[in-house]
Amino acid sequence: MDVAGAVAGSRGLEATRAAGESPRPLRPVRVAIVGLGRAGLAHATLLAAMPDCEVVALVDRRGEARARLHGLGYRARDFARVARMLEAVKPDAAIVCGPQHERAALATEVLAAGVAALVEHPFGVTLEQAEAVARAGEGKTLAGGCALAFEPIFRRAHELLAAGVLGPIRQARSSMYVTRVFDARHPALLEPGPVAGGVLAQVACDLLFLLVWYLGMPAEVRATSQRIYGGLEDEMHAMMKLTSGVEVGFDCSWSVPGYPQPATVIELEGENGKLLISDDGIEAELEQPRGGLAAGHSRLASAELPHPAAFDWGGEAMYLMDAAFLAWATGGPAPPNRGAFAIEVHRVMDALYRAAASGEPQTVAS
Amino acid sequence: MSRKALEPPRLLLAAASLTHGARMPRPRMIEIAERYREPESLAVTLSKALDAGAEGVLAVPAPALDAALVELGRRVPIYAVLPDPTPSGRYDLQPTRLDPLEGTPGAAGFGTRLRLAWTRATRPWAFAQRDFGLLVRLALEARASIIPRRALHGVVVAAGVTDLALAGGQHHFFEKLTRWIRGRFRARAAFETMNLGLLLARLREWDVRPDFVVGPVNPRGLMMKPSRDETLDEISRSAVPVVATQLRARGLCTLDEGARFAFEHGVLGLAPDLAEMDDVGAELARIRGWRDSKVPPRLEGERRA
Repeated sequence: MDVAGAVAGSRGLEATRAAGESPRPLRPVRVAIVGLGRAGLAHATLLAAMPDCEVVALVDRRGEARARLHGLGYRARDFARVARMLEAVKPDAAIVCGPQHERAALATEVLAAGVAALVEHPFGVTLEQAEAVARAGEGKTLAGGCALAFEPIFRRAHELLAAGVLGPIRQARSSMYVTRVFDARHPALLEPGPVAGGVLAQVACDLLFLLVWYLGMPAEVRATSQRIYGGLEDEMHAMMKLTSGVEVGFDCSWSVPGYPQPATVIELEGENGKLLISDDGIEAELEQPRGGLAAGHSRLASAELPHPAAFDWGGEAMYLMDAAFLAWATGGPAPPNRGAFAIEVHRVMDALYRAAASGEPQTVAS
Repeated sequence: MSRKALEPPRLLLAAASLTHGARMPRPRMIEIAERYREPESLAVTLSKALDAGAEGVLAVPAPALDAALVELGRRVPIYAVLPDPTPSGRYDLQPTRLDPLEGTPGAAGFGTRLRLAWTRATRPWAFAQRDFGLLVRLALEARASIIPRRALHGVVVAAGVTDLALAGGQHHFFEKLTRWIRGRFRARAAFETMNLGLLLARLREWDVRPDFVVGPVNPRGLMMKPSRDETLDEISRSAVPVVATQLRARGLCTLDEGARFAFEHGVLGLAPDLAEMDDVGAELARIRGWRDSKVPPRLEGERRA
């Protein structure tokens, strides 16, 4: 799918909100949190501050994790097993963020019970597991975790591209760097079970999501990766070829100094000029005025956009993601990270890992 | 310590940008890191800030700050933002950990180590995990005790921790910690937050009064949660003094505009960050006069005797 196709495919499905307005549940909604690690804690924190949202169940087989959440003041019922929770509480929606090797099974169980699910990325350790989750979510409310797509600046970039500011894209480059892993004992490398991968699966999947959202699915990918500190890749360099023949560069690393906060940059060149999209803002250099942007150079700082989340914990993107999911689960419009789209990102990720392992170009499953 | 001595600060130099805690554009972050690479340059800036009327530094204790303080050879009042939590965003990769004791400095003195050992011995770990307040107190004990007692003028509970407790609705956490910080460190007890309006509303509802709270206030309403209007309304009603940060709204307005706006809406003190000023001495000196503006009547009374 090319840019136009990607945009057309998503039009009418995404949550379209007035500028400056946060999505929110359309009616009171009861939510379970499945998996009480860092992500589970973050979701619990944000949901506690969301209007018309009640956290009714906490699920984790580790008693220690459940005790910690209670220690933080959460009074919801806690369970060691999902089945027991589904039977006893019957939530309207669940956030599934258990360990990667358990996530697919947990998500499938939740979806089978008819409960709307937001499943953190990746859906599972392998593409097969992720596909199983996507199948379980067909015709149901399934969303994948991708907070970056809810950052106002990246959302605005999508709107500009949808408005055709650049026209047909000629080339694209992207990168995501963060200073995190410099030690084989880093917790990211010590997960209790198998994981889908390193920096790509755990961090840069958000950038991959943005690229697929902005530009459409690649048909073929080439990649190389480096393992520096352990068994998972710490860096990856890739080229992805869209069906239009356009090449998209992709670099990521979690072992690079100077990036205490994750830094995402996407550079696009099209028939009508260039766009540079980053966490800080959007810079445009256009031949002709389009999409509300003037010809020549213009800049839109991230701070200039409305930041409508009602609660901030480490930023507001995750709040907006959760709110959009719960709006969808209560009858609102589908968000961009709906399951049918999220699985396409898994397919690209799988192709990148196959390409890095084989050293050969790989086609992306459809 | 007299009540007078626990008055909230009116003008602080914030140094969150030194530890990458400030939310600012990446080019500015790189510029600040480069500017203060040498302890001497930071020491000069701190000295200028104090001469210009800053009452202290609001910062996470970090090697760069420590080195500058040594270089300066002058006692600088510290309002320590603690504990310094690992980044709490989605990218944090410690899925099973929530332990403020993690990374407890080993350089704590004998007395502190003894106190920590006693606390741990008398509170079984399994129980302690259920008591977030206890975990935080242990972390504060370990970290704040490294700072010379006479320099420690305030302990400001970091936003990552404050907002966790706020979301959990833990009024005992705020109540007990306020009392404990005052008693243990003979210093001001404060809370930093990224959800100022909500925190002020809860503190009012629970009738909990820390010495002050620190949070974003600016004319653009950036980072003012749950919303600009609700936050301003709470500031105007609150009996807890507010020290405002993020005055420039990431560069969308000037420091003067931010400071004027904050005072007009009932903020008691300002804490502009290093990254929000090009000439720290001159800019702080310019807003120094505003610091002495009239204290809002709701903040007068027995606490400020």
